[in-house]
Amino acid sequence: MMVIRDLQRQYTKFRLGYLWSLLEPLGMSLVLWLVFSVLLGERALGLQPYLLFLSVAILPWWWFLKSVNSSTKVFRRMRGQLAFSVLPPQVWILRTVLSSAVEFVLSLPVILLAVALTGFLPGPWIVLFPLGLLLQFLLLYGIGLLVSSVSIVIPDIARIVKIILRAMFYLSPILYSISNIPESVQTIAAFNPLVGILGLYRIGWWPEEHTSTVALIISFSVAAAFLIAGIISFRRLTPRILKEA
Amino acid sequence: MRGNEIVRFENASISLTKTKRRKGAGRGQRLRRFAGETQRTVIPVIQNVSFGVQPGESIALVGGRPLVRTAILRLAAGTLIPDTGTVTTRVPVVPMIGIARSFGRTFTIRQNIFLASGLLGVKPSETANKLDDIVEFTGVASFLDRHLGAAPASTRQKLAWSIAMSIPASTYLVDQTLVVGEREFRQKCWTKVDQLREDGATFIISSDSTKQYRRFCDRALYFVEGSLVADGAVREILALARKARQQSREDEQ
Repeated sequence: MMVIRDLQRQYTKFRLGYLWSLLEPLGMSLVLWLVFSVLLGERALGLQPYLLFLSVAILPWWWFLKSVNSSTKVFRRMRGQLAFSVLPPQVWILRTVLSSAVEFVLSLPVILLAVALTGFLPGPWIVLFPLGLLLQFLLLYGIGLLVSSVSIVIPDIARIVKIILRAMFYLSPILYSISNIPESVQTIAAFNPLVGILGLYRIGWWPEEHTSTVALIISFSVAAAFLIAGIISFRRLTPRILKEA
Repeated sequence: MRGNEIVRFENASISLTKTKRRKGAGRGQRLRRFAGETQRTVIPVIQNVSFGVQPGESIALVGGRPLVRTAILRLAAGTLIPDTGTVTTRVPVVPMIGIARSFGRTFTIRQNIFLASGLLGVKPSETANKLDDIVEFTGVASFLDRHLGAAPASTRQKLAWSIAMSIPASTYLVDQTLVVGEREFRQKCWTKVDQLREDGATFIISSDSTKQYRRFCDRALYFVEGSLVADGAVREILALARKARQQSREDEQ
């Protein structure tokens, strides 16, 4: 069964052109790199080399953004299919998250390019990179279930999520490093599950990204909480979701 | 007797929400419309419906709005969950509900076949085995790798039909039309449906054509405003429905 879903996903996404999934984050990293590194000079936000530092976080962020945004409207788009599909409706969320995940994996060459440009090779901790991927996947699945089911009851959620996502971009260590913010705030910041996940992605290049194990554990428990909340709310609201079709 | 029922409705009720954009020309209304406010009305679609389906039966849903009949089919398919009461379905079903509408114009016919069968719960490998049959039945061999939009408009319906019929389930839930396409294709449909019925397949059909009911069904359920009012042989029920229609027409005059 899983295989079919994979197939569907690939069919639906790939036609938009593979190149765009490379160019979009690349362009974004370049712009931000110009602004924060070249224009603002050496006042050094984040860690060096900044171009690489940025792109390692921008790509997962892109995945996060796309997947959360589209899960607010999956069921409105999939109305017709919901009426006759004998698969459980969770499939649609899985599908959104997976298709943006595939896009993320395909855009990884951007990081390779950044590595090639800067010549900054990762250390042994790079093995944690796939773990970050897995955790982000679970987090996104949880958020997707939560957001998609709640937005059926309260349609305004879609707008609210947009604003929250914008705030998240600045509240997460994407432009800066977690070690840039004062230590007293670091523990509070850890409640943002992205802090832990982005840390895992970056740790291979910058071991100093790892600040405290407690913070990481907090991050991951929040992610797990999202997953559980998502599963519960989705199960509760399934009759409502089906009515939408 | 209830032991071998394959679908059982027990006091099932459901209400659906209909959203409508605000209409009206007054200033207040205009402002609201601009703000995107929508009118939401909750319609009780099905009220306390109970019935059971024996394997091998062909059941016609008569009367009621299409919304009501579609809801019954979706409840039986499990793609709608009743607010109160229960609906139990014991066998795998093929819900032929809006499959044709869900095809993507920009996908090739091959992709659409795999997508739709996937949604109906068929593994890609099985679909691959049946691909030739489906294509041959629909008669779209020359369009297989072209966009659905490029094929004749009737292809949608025919394709949906062939896909659904290619699935060897025991129960088919048919919305609107059991038989589609031009005469030749219809002929093929009839033979196929008859053959399936002989093999003991169960059909629940919602259609506007009484002719189809007479041809294919042996039992009918008559709905008025979302409640089940009569359950019996097709001929009787259709007569009942016709009488009710005449009655209401006379009342109007």
